[in-house]
Amino acid sequence: MPVGLSVGGALGDPSPSRPFRPSRYVPVSAATAFLVGATTLFLCFTCPWLSEKFSSFIPLYNVVVFLFTLANFCMATFMDPGVFPRAEEDEDKEDDFRAPLYKTVEVRGIQVRMKWCSTCRFYRPPRCSHCSVCDNCVEEFDHHCPWVNNCIGRRNYRYFFLFLLSLTVHIMDVFGFSLLYILHHTKQLDLVQSGVTMAVMCVAGLFFVPVAGLTGFHVVLVARGRTTNEQVTGKFRGGVNPFTHGCFKNIAHVLCSSQAPRYLGRLRKPQSVQVQPPFLRPPLSEAQLAAKVLDNGIQQSKSSLEIMESQSTDADPPPPPKPEHRYPGLPHTQNEECSLLTEAPPTPSLYKYRPAYSSPGKNHTASTHSSKMSRGNSMTESPSVPVTTGQPSYRSDPSLSSRGAAGCRGGAEGGRSGSGGLGGASAFGGRSYPSFTDTLLQSAAASCSSSLRSAHTAHNALGPLISEGTTSTSYKSLANQTRNGSLSYESLLTPSESPEFESAAHELSPPRPHPPHSLSTAAGAAPILGYTSPFLSAQQREGSLQACPAPLRPSPNRAFLRPISSPPSRAPPLSPRARSLGSPPPGPAPGHTPLGKSMSYGGGAELQHRPSSSGGGTSMPNNTVSFFLPPMATLEFLHAHPPFLCPFPFSVLFLSLRSSAVLFPALLLPCGHKDESVSVLSSTIKQNVANHNTHSHKPARGVKKVSGVGGTTYEISV
Amino acid sequence: MAETHSLQDLRQAAVASKVFVQRDYTSGTICKFQTKFPAELESRIDKVQFEETIQTLNNLYAEAEKLGGRSYLEGCLACLTAYTIFLCMETHYEKVLKKIAKFIQEQNEKIYAPLGLLLTDPIERGLRVVEITIFEDRSIGSR
Repeated sequence: MPVGLSVGGALGDPSPSRPFRPSRYVPVSAATAFLVGATTLFLCFTCPWLSEKFSSFIPLYNVVVFLFTLANFCMATFMDPGVFPRAEEDEDKEDDFRAPLYKTVEVRGIQVRMKWCSTCRFYRPPRCSHCSVCDNCVEEFDHHCPWVNNCIGRRNYRYFFLFLLSLTVHIMDVFGFSLLYILHHTKQLDLVQSGVTMAVMCVAGLFFVPVAGLTGFHVVLVARGRTTNEQVTGKFRGGVNPFTHGCFKNIAHVLCSSQAPRYLGRLRKPQSVQVQPPFLRPPLSEAQLAAKVLDNGIQQSKSSLEIMESQSTDADPPPPPKPEHRYPGLPHTQNEECSLLTEAPPTPSLYKYRPAYSSPGKNHTASTHSSKMSRGNSMTESPSVPVTTGQPSYRSDPSLSSRGAAGCRGGAEGGRSGSGGLGGASAFGGRSYPSFTDTLLQSAAASCSSSLRSAHTAHNALGPLISEGTTSTSYKSLANQTRNGSLSYESLLTPSESPEFESAAHELSPPRPHPPHSLSTAAGAAPILGYTSPFLSAQQREGSLQACPAPLRPSPNRAFLRPISSPPSRAPPLSPRARSLGSPPPGPAPGHTPLGKSMSYGGGAELQHRPSSSGGGTSMPNNTVSFFLPPMATLEFLHAHPPFLCPFPFSVLFLSLRSSAVLFPALLLPCGHKDESVSVLSSTIKQNVANHNTHSHKPARGVKKVSGVGGTTYEISV
Repeated sequence: MAETHSLQDLRQAAVASKVFVQRDYTSGTICKFQTKFPAELESRIDKVQFEETIQTLNNLYAEAEKLGGRSYLEGCLACLTAYTIFLCMETHYEKVLKKIAKFIQEQNEKIYAPLGLLLTDPIERGLRVVEITIFEDRSIGSR
């Protein structure tokens, strides 16, 4: 991303000025020209006769429909789609090196992954995505539409949808009335009016098919409560969409909700409140007083305080043990406390930075201990993942593997995402997701990765005491650094083989980030996780292989994590595999484990789409459409924007896309048949994608149970 | 941040740290913030008070996003006028946002500033977090 001067002084300017690319304006200019030009010709040449012959209501009606179409077109084109302003530095003060790339939250009972956006510097809210063309994160990102040269997101989806509807109606009207004219002038076809009318008819007829197809596609999306992005990346294939409220409510939400506010360009009122000491203090409770005695500036929960007290008779807590000296035999609860101690900021400068994302989790150790932060930090809350080294630390779900594969597929970003995906699903407590870090490191650079790998595997071998945070810490920072896609595709292939292994091993470690120095503990620990690790039991390998039949784990699209039993230290499991959204979210109820009904929905597919480059964005080759386009998604996307609708330069590019050859037959398939179209494509797609189909969308069949960390058992669809 | 470095702010207390209250996505993408009490504020503010503030904010946002007759009529009117109505009329959401801004200002003046805290309107952060700035308490010692 070119760093330039910020344009505009508006609040939260989203991105620095981007280079002017005239090619981006070609489709929108063509669309405008066709729309306005054809309609004007129709109104000038055909309508006079129609108003004479039939009624003047006809031209009036056509004008109204045309104006409605144009108004929606303009709104879709010029309206801010819901761009998030870049996060300010303070929000991201948490050390990049210690923060995981993914954070899972539970949305109505379903695990959703939030990915760290290295460009915008925050964890993308659910349904948010980063558009590489616009270089912004957009709320409820649908797609980037080249015809309006704008992203379609929360704020302007309604206008885009209405534009499609009204354009379809308008095309049908123009075509119909032109046909009527021609049928009445069959003997006068040499007239100028007839010629123009025939030309208008041709244009209308030509555009009708793709526009109607796209309209139908979006009608289905609206009814299902999905975005184009979610549909083409197959996030909900065979699963439950946590964002749907039922057909009627979904439609109401699109059409009847109040216009969402823009986040950019708002006038920021100057802070008029003076904050001056002396400050009042609230009365302290007894517990707080007790905490104060032991508090030496380190944030601790009461439970961890008790642990500390039992450990040592000193009033002061022991200094945080270095990770490499940690004794593996300590009970899991120690991890929480230890990690707390280690994460105490050593030198508070003026700012004591707290990780934004972890405010509900990391800083509230009590909560992570006992109750379940149903969101924020993971599907499992507490670090109470016992060191079940004996357990096949199974790497949960296909999503992980899919992300691993996705990583293979996608190159730099894919690699990151792959690992991130793993991490996301494997998160146990806290917020770090160690598994992905391995993939990332491996993919980052062959030379340094090997040493890092051994470090990380060592971590895993040390089990729960080694915070996964150590391995995950570099992830976010690497994500930030490798925005330009230095990762190669090939380097990801190998690790993709066993993303399961990675996360399996990772799950042994508790979810606590640790300072990077813990990396040094590696020696003699488990070997590289990205590859077959001798540390993993045969059962683990088998489990993961079965879950992931092909060597390269695919499943870009879905990852449903369905633990059916929770670790003994947790609350009784919730109903497994809550397929419907009916089950109420566990909420903040203590002792609840979101695992019971967690179906992770995390955007595996999204991850894979980063063929290269920007850490935050999704780039599309040739800039044709800035949109996620895994090979499989190409079908859906091209369905959305059929190649033959494109202006000439783009049609060439479309044809060059891999799946275009198989596209046509599948183009007009209704959404329900996407699985078949996917299978059609799969043969033309790399093998790692083919794997996706095997277990992507049929959770009801071939479910394999694999156990994860702490006795949690997951069902994987095979 | 540059905005805080004005001359006027020199009389203000120095910023010690910031707490970010994240969004609560358990009910979907509606705007709702977590009412969980951050540990950093334990000694600075009463838990109940904090939760009340956040809960009120959540209620206000729920009101803004409500799908009711009002928002529907607004949409219809906008359609009929080819969206030119947006040039003159404030949308329902914006009206509620103004209410929220006023509420936050009031809370800051009455409750938070005396305690050495400052709430930042979440709209400035894209409705992603509620930023609470903790000021250094020089009289007792920095926390």
